[in-house]
Amino acid sequence: MIDEFEFFLEKPWSDGLPVVTPTEARLAPMLAAAGRLPEDVIGAVPPAMNVATVRDVALHALMAGCRPDHLPVVIAALDLMLLEPFNLNGVQGTMHGVAPLMIVNGPHAARIGLNGGNGCFGPGFRANASIGRAIRLILLNLGGGMAGVASATIFGSPLRYTACITENVERSPWETLAVAQGHRVDEDTIACAMVESPRLHFDDVSQDPERLLTGIADGMAALGSWNMHARSDMVVAMGPQHATLCAEAGMSRTDVHRWLVERAGRTVGDLRRGGNWRRERALALPIAVDPDDDGCFVPAIKHPDDLLLVVAGGWGPCTAICHGWSGGSRAVHGRYRVPRA
Amino acid sequence: MQPLPFIDPSAGGNRPAIPLAPRPMDLAGRVVAMVDNTKEQGTLILETIAAALKERHGVARVIIRSKEHYSKPATDQLIDELAQEAHLAVAAVGG
Repeated sequence: MIDEFEFFLEKPWSDGLPVVTPTEARLAPMLAAAGRLPEDVIGAVPPAMNVATVRDVALHALMAGCRPDHLPVVIAALDLMLLEPFNLNGVQGTMHGVAPLMIVNGPHAARIGLNGGNGCFGPGFRANASIGRAIRLILLNLGGGMAGVASATIFGSPLRYTACITENVERSPWETLAVAQGHRVDEDTIACAMVESPRLHFDDVSQDPERLLTGIADGMAALGSWNMHARSDMVVAMGPQHATLCAEAGMSRTDVHRWLVERAGRTVGDLRRGGNWRRERALALPIAVDPDDDGCFVPAIKHPDDLLLVVAGGWGPCTAICHGWSGGSRAVHGRYRVPRA
Repeated sequence: MQPLPFIDPSAGGNRPAIPLAPRPMDLAGRVVAMVDNTKEQGTLILETIAAALKERHGVARVIIRSKEHYSKPATDQLIDELAQEAHLAVAAVGG
């Protein structure tokens, strides 16, 4: 008799954890919740370019542990990730270890229990864990992005098991990223960015935004970060306590965003001391940098759109900083519709 | 063999294999295409290989073309152009 757990654990595309055994009986309610025909094509997943239909996505969501009402999020996220600017092909093959982090906002995120509070990066929350894992299983199986096969990743990343959060709307003093990107509060939205696992920035000392943001900016500008050497996206998830400190001092989300875009960075002289500094890299940047001027300031964020500022996590003196990839992937965002039950 | 009591969604099982193009056994008089992926120093590697191919193997001509970006595939247009002009192609990773 076949042991179904061993059967899937032995697959080269396994993520190393058991899956929910996919059966037609379990698949039926998933497909009923998709709101689209099973044979509808979402797209070909690079680099292997196996075509993902709605049925394929539902199967991977099922295996990952999703509930049927999680499926519209997975389908919409894959739709976004296959957009050309996101450059999934490049990330699937890269030496880097970035993962497509989904930031899901809107009423459906709340309805399905996506967690934007304590421990939002996991573990412990089914919607976050299973939606992110569904995408990863698709990238492994349909895309062939297996380490040592199509993927040259050096380390991989814990974020490659799952990468899905929402914002802490209840405790945020500001509008969401989605609203800042032009969506309405009552719309269901996803933003995706290729980023590293979060680096935690603790600060239980600062009482004013200037000091707080100076520390966060330092965490955004590490010598070995690609954000310092190429145009790269970055997600900064401010803990609600840090965001509230800024808000109570009169800073809007836009103010904090602008502060970080303008002030996070290093001088050329500083960058020369270590990390990925190369003169020709500096000259290839989409902003004016004089590589021969040690005093020239190089910002971590090369274009304001590249900094995705959100408020997430539980109450406490901490902000999470997710550095980006070495260029060639632009964050994407969009609305999605949830079929009526 | 008994059918599986569950679905196996493993990809790729029904796709036809694409055979490799025949390899030339002799490079003398051939045209070789080099694909520069735009990473730093990739061109240096390609130019070194080009010189060696001409000197040691009698390659007639080497053409070097660049991709749009190292993380993106070569466009169909570039691949078609190289396929028309060259007998074989070499790609390089710089960095």
